[in-house]
Amino acid sequence: MLVTVKTIYQMKLKYIPVYTADFDSQLNFYTQKLGFKVTGTMTFHEGRESTVIRSDKLNVALLVTNNDSLSDKSNIILNTADCLNDYHKLKTAGVFFCKSPAYLPAGLVAEFMDPAGNRFMLLEERNYNE
Amino acid sequence: MDYSKVLRNNNKIVSRTGGQGLGVQHNSDLSLRFVLSGNERYDIGRRHLSIYPDSFLILNRGTKYSTETDAGDPVQSFVINFDQQFLQDFKECWTFGDEKLLDKGGDAISVQPEFSETIYPFAGDIRYNVFHLKQHLDEGMQDEMLINEYLHHTLINYFNIYNDEVYKKAEKLDFLNQGTKIEIIRRLNLAKEYMYSNYNQNINLEDLAEHACLSVNHLLRTFKQAFGLTPHQFLIQLRLKRSLMLLKDTRYPVNEVVSMVGFECPSSFIRLFRTHYNITPLKYRQSA
Repeated sequence: MLVTVKTIYQMKLKYIPVYTADFDSQLNFYTQKLGFKVTGTMTFHEGRESTVIRSDKLNVALLVTNNDSLSDKSNIILNTADCLNDYHKLKTAGVFFCKSPAYLPAGLVAEFMDPAGNRFMLLEERNYNE
Repeated sequence: MDYSKVLRNNNKIVSRTGGQGLGVQHNSDLSLRFVLSGNERYDIGRRHLSIYPDSFLILNRGTKYSTETDAGDPVQSFVINFDQQFLQDFKECWTFGDEKLLDKGGDAISVQPEFSETIYPFAGDIRYNVFHLKQHLDEGMQDEMLINEYLHHTLINYFNIYNDEVYKKAEKLDFLNQGTKIEIIRRLNLAKEYMYSNYNQNINLEDLAEHACLSVNHLLRTFKQAFGLTPHQFLIQLRLKRSLMLLKDTRYPVNEVVSMVGFECPSSFIRLFRTHYNITPLKYRQSA
């Protein structure tokens, strides 16, 4: 039986990560064939920079990251206005977090898994230059 | 919004608007003290400190202090008192447990920070976390587990600030002994707290050095080594930053803002402002 839960979280889909062993050809594919534009860089994994690319038609940006091993990385990045709040509420609801909230250059990030083991990143972006 | 919330584990959060002078008080637990608007003066022994929305104060357990606010200037203050046991658990967790907590600090943080009573910058993660917490409490949130989660993270943020403001700055000093480096930084932070508190007055180097318990020469040399700025440059930057707040959040005319932040001459203020932010004060106000 499908049970719907009233949502109390403010999560929205903002980034889709793409991992590649050949960064240049992957980026060329998106920019030259699909019409994406590079809009900046972000750091989600310690010591590894991701390139943000966007297309006019999409609300979601792709994050292209140079990475040899494709396992063990989140497939979906959800944006939240308050990471600790959503982390606490999801955890109380029985969601398994493989990484509790930690600080990265992009902001505050926690990671959880669905029953099949797919990893989700819960990100509160923070501007540290204000 | 005014409330005083005592949690089951004896952590306590106090939010207060408006201000009146309070007599001498005893800080019963370690506390972090924020001012979200206006400013509040703390007298601790011979030290007279003022906190503004860009800085916060740490007071240790047992410290005697009295507070005062300027009449007519509405003050919004927010105080977190940490229970001894909560603090002890946090320290153990920080030192021995959760490696993830140590990730950001790198190697230097394996030594446990102290809670030295001074003013620190209220920016970055601690600011985000305290504002989230306050918003929840203002809305009447009662979930103590969640409140404690924020308090736990506030301590993580403080330890990271301590790491940035003390250990990393100490590394830049040209002394061999680690203990000497930390002591010099502690005194330089006294110089900083003096400037944070008296930024709109005429500050002379002798008074600054006396407050920091350093000679003038020693102060000048080590301040520049640690922070990459002379005390004078630090003061100018502080004045400019605080002028941003006044331009954005109040309607005082620019000429008045100039003297409120301690500049004597409007034209030199405007010149410095423009060099610093690539915009004139008036245009900044219009765009903010």
